[in-house]
Amino acid sequence: MHIPDGYLSPATCGAFYVAAVPVWATAGRRVKKVVRNRYVPLLAIGAAYAFLVMMFNVPIPDGTTAHAVGGVLIAVLLGPWAAVIAVSIALLIQALFFGDGGVLSYGANVFNMAFVMPMVGYGVYRLLSRRTSLTSRRRAVAAGVGGYVGLNVAALCAAVEFGLQPRFFHTADGTPLYAPFHLSQTIPAMLGAHLLVAGVIEVVLTTGVVAYLQRANLPVLRINHADLPETDADLVAPRKLGWRWGLVGLATMVALTPLGLIAPGGAFGEDAPADLDLHKYHLDAVPSGLRHYAGFWHNALFDGYDFRNDGHPSVGYLLSALIGIAVISGLIFAGYAIAQLMVNIRRRSTTAA
Amino acid sequence: MTAPAWLLQNEIGLCPCGCIGKRSKGSYIDKTIAGGAGLIRQAMFAEDTASQRALLQQVDPRVKVVTLIGLLITAALVRHVPVLAAMYLGTLALAVASRLSLTFFVKRVWLFIPIFTGIVVLPATFSFITHGHIVVSLGTWFGSRVGLTSQGLRSAALMVTRVAVSISLVVLLTLTTPWNRLLAALRTMRAPRLFLLVLAMAYRYLFHLLGTVTDMFTARKARQVNRSTMTEGRRFVAASAGALFAKSHALAEEVHMAMIARGFTGNVRTLGPSRIVARDWAWTIACVGAAIVFLGADRALGR
Repeated sequence: MHIPDGYLSPATCGAFYVAAVPVWATAGRRVKKVVRNRYVPLLAIGAAYAFLVMMFNVPIPDGTTAHAVGGVLIAVLLGPWAAVIAVSIALLIQALFFGDGGVLSYGANVFNMAFVMPMVGYGVYRLLSRRTSLTSRRRAVAAGVGGYVGLNVAALCAAVEFGLQPRFFHTADGTPLYAPFHLSQTIPAMLGAHLLVAGVIEVVLTTGVVAYLQRANLPVLRINHADLPETDADLVAPRKLGWRWGLVGLATMVALTPLGLIAPGGAFGEDAPADLDLHKYHLDAVPSGLRHYAGFWHNALFDGYDFRNDGHPSVGYLLSALIGIAVISGLIFAGYAIAQLMVNIRRRSTTAA
Repeated sequence: MTAPAWLLQNEIGLCPCGCIGKRSKGSYIDKTIAGGAGLIRQAMFAEDTASQRALLQQVDPRVKVVTLIGLLITAALVRHVPVLAAMYLGTLALAVASRLSLTFFVKRVWLFIPIFTGIVVLPATFSFITHGHIVVSLGTWFGSRVGLTSQGLRSAALMVTRVAVSISLVVLLTLTTPWNRLLAALRTMRAPRLFLLVLAMAYRYLFHLLGTVTDMFTARKARQVNRSTMTEGRRFVAASAGALFAKSHALAEEVHMAMIARGFTGNVRTLGPSRIVARDWAWTIACVGAAIVFLGADRALGR
C-alpha cells in the first residue's frame, strides 16, 4: 500500500503533509502525557518493531507468502496514538533510508497507514472487546477484526487518493498527469485485493500475536490495558442504568417540545390533502379512499394540536403537548399497575397453593 | 573498509508491504531470513557508497535534502515526457559523478518500474480506461472501437518517466548520505528534536531487533526436519512476532533505565550544525538553475 512518488499530484501530497501535522502534534502530546520521558525508548523501539512486523512473511494458501502492515497490532499493544508515531517513523525510515515509498507522498502514506489504519482498527477493537477480560478469546478475535477493517479502510483511502487524480489533474486533451485510473476502477481493484488476501493476513498476524501474548506474556499486554481484569471470572458486572436516567431522557425531550413551534414547514407525510403538491408526485387527484378517510378524526379534542377556534395557537400547542404527555404517562402507569397487580395475584395464589 | 562484492549482490529495493514483490513460491522462513539479510546488505551498501569522496557525497546533507526535494517537486510539476527523460539523464550523470555503480543504479530503478508501475499503468493505455483518440485500433467491442489511445499512451509514459526520476533522486540521496549525517540534516531543518531522537534510536535498534528476528527464524529452520503445515507456519510467525514484541519492550525498559542512569531528563542535546561552504552554494545554484530550465522547457512545450 506504499504509494511511491509520481502517483499523486504535488497538490495532493502537500495537502496530506498539512493534514499530518496536527495528527503528529496530538499524538506527541497524548503519548507524552501517558508515559512521560519513558516514551522516547518506547516509541523508538515501537517504531523499529513496526518496521520489522512488515518483514514477517506469513504463509498463505496459494503456496506463496505475504506480509501484514501491523498498524492495528501496534495500536492494540501500545495504544492508538503511540501507533501513529511508531508507524510514521517506520514509514520515514523506509522512505528516507531505504528508498521504499515516496518522499513527497510520505504524508499520504502516513495518513493511510499510520493514522486511518490504527485509529479505525483500534476503534473496532475497542467496540468488539467491550466487557471482556484480558485473556478472553473475544479480545484476540476483536483485534483481528480491527486489523481487517483498519487495513481495508486504509486501502479505501489510498484508492480514493489514486482515483481522484485523473479527475483533477489532466491536460486539455484529457491525458491524466498522475495516476490514470478513475474511482470506479481504483476502488474495486484495491478493495478486492485487500478484502480477499491482505486483510486475511492482517487477521492472522494480529489475532495470532494477541492470542500468543495472552498465553505467554500477559504483562506485555498490560502496557495498553493497565487495569483490565485478567479472567472473565474477575469481571465486575456492569452497573445497570437506573430507571431515573430514563426519566431524565424523557424530561429532556419534554423540555425540547417547544422546538416544534419554530420549526419551518410541516412534518413529512402529515400534509392535509389540500396542501399536497400533487404535481410533484405525478398525480392528478387524491385517491378517493384517502380523501374519504382524511377528515375522519376531525372531531378530536385538540384537532391540529390547537383549540377549536384557533385563538392562541402557541398556548394550544403547548397545552396539547402537556395533555398528551399526561395521557400517555397515565396509560403507561395504568398498564404497569395492572401488570404489578397480576403478578401479585399470581404470587399470592402460588404461595397459597 | 568496504563490504565484499558477493555480499552486495544486486537485489532490487522492493516495497516491504508486499504489494509489488515477486510472488515466488518459497518457505516463509527462508524468505524472512533473506529479507533480513537484504535489509542489512542495503544498509551496508549505502554506507559504502556514502563514504566515498565524489560529487554528491561532498555536498552538505542539509543542502542535499532541500535541493533534492526541490528537484522531486520539479519532476512532479513537469508535464512532458521529453523533459522528464532529460531529468532522468541528469540523475544518471549525477550517479556517475558520485561514483555510484551505473548498472546498480539503473537496475534499482528499472527493475522496480516494470514490476509495479508497468503493470499498473499498462491497462490505462486502453480506451476502456483513458478515453481519447485511438491510435492503435484493436477492433470493436459491442459496436464501439477499442484500442490504445494517444492520451493513454502519453499518460503511461509520463507515469513511468516520472516514477523513474523520483526514485532515482531519492536513491541518489540515500546512497550518498550516511544515515547519521542525514539525521543531523533533518535536525538543523527544524524537525522536532524529540522526534529525531526517536527516529535515530529507532534506526539503531532496528538492526539490533532484526538480528533477533533472523536468529528466531534460523533456529526454527535448524529445528525443522519436514515442511511445516500452513497452520503451524502461521502459529510460528504470530508467536515469533509476539515474542519479538516482548523482547522489544524489555529492551525499551532497559534502554530507558540506561538513559536515566546517564542523566537523561527529557532534554535532547545535539551537536552544532556544520558550515555551509562555497561548494554547497554552487550546488544549490546549479539545482535551482536546473529546475528553472526544466520548468521553462516544460512551459515552452505547451500546457
